[in-house]
Amino acid sequence: MAARGFSNLAQATEAALIIAAQARDQAAFGELVKRRQGWARGLLRRMCRSHAEADDLAQEAFIKAWERLKDLETPAAFPGWFRRIAVTTFLMAKRRQKAVFEEIDEAANPIASEDSTPENQAGAKIDLEKALARLSDAERLCVTLNHGEGLSHSEIVEITGLPLGTVKSHVLRGTEKLRRMLEPQSE
Amino acid sequence: MSDFDALLKRSFAEAHEPEDDGFVVNVAHKVARSEKALQIRNAFQTGSVVIGSAAAAYGVYAFLGAFGQDFLAAAGLEIARIHGSLSAAPVGDVAGGAAGEAQTLMTTMGAGLTQVLLLAGILAGGAVALRATQQD
Repeated sequence: MAARGFSNLAQATEAALIIAAQARDQAAFGELVKRRQGWARGLLRRMCRSHAEADDLAQEAFIKAWERLKDLETPAAFPGWFRRIAVTTFLMAKRRQKAVFEEIDEAANPIASEDSTPENQAGAKIDLEKALARLSDAERLCVTLNHGEGLSHSEIVEITGLPLGTVKSHVLRGTEKLRRMLEPQSE
Repeated sequence: MSDFDALLKRSFAEAHEPEDDGFVVNVAHKVARSEKALQIRNAFQTGSVVIGSAAAAYGVYAFLGAFGQDFLAAAGLEIARIHGSLSAAPVGDVAGGAAGEAQTLMTTMGAGLTQVLLLAGILAGGAVALRATQQD
């Protein structure tokens, strides 16, 4: 794992690391993983219900990224390109589990959360992961991509392959469920 | 954008990002393993192509050694017959002459067809074998 062409990997720009990784420099890719692992694992943890599953998928996504790095046209496109790989990895895992987009029984999962006090909302701190875990897989995916990653509905369609109407519906219903979970006193 | 949407976006932005608890090392190990496997596979593919090429070359050499002279002689004879039939066609009835020419041509082409098909089969087989070794 020699760092070819770098005196100090930690000081290299992300673009330089990506270019070096495209030239099969494993140390540069390792540094890239180090810098991006928090974001990638966070994204997948919000999509999955289990942290262990999310970390496994993040690992799988990074391995795929390493194998396909030559397909990346510009280093600036890396975040979007990697996000697509992460989402595809998540969707494939769900298909393997044959558990895609099941609905959560709201009656069995009380909406009100003990963390959704007005104090917490005032401090802009809500237990997002706990609330997201109560959405269906599809709602969680669409809400995370829309509100978390700032993707438009059409961008979500492109990345997930779901129909536009379905994406809009999942975002709307997911957001509404979150609102009811986190703002119980407003109803 | 409602207050809740803004709160949601802010919460996503401020969401906790996990610390590196050995994740990077695990990925690095898997990448190193995958690279090693790729190198082994490439070496295996190169070896397969070399062995396949040597076998094909030996086959062509053996084939030419056994049938080369006969093949060339037959091919030369066929060419001479085609040339002769075309250049010495009977003059007179135009329709009958053309039919005769075509019939002679078909007969002479048929004689060399076996060799042509054999050669085409060898080339196609070699191409398929080469393609098979280059597939992931």
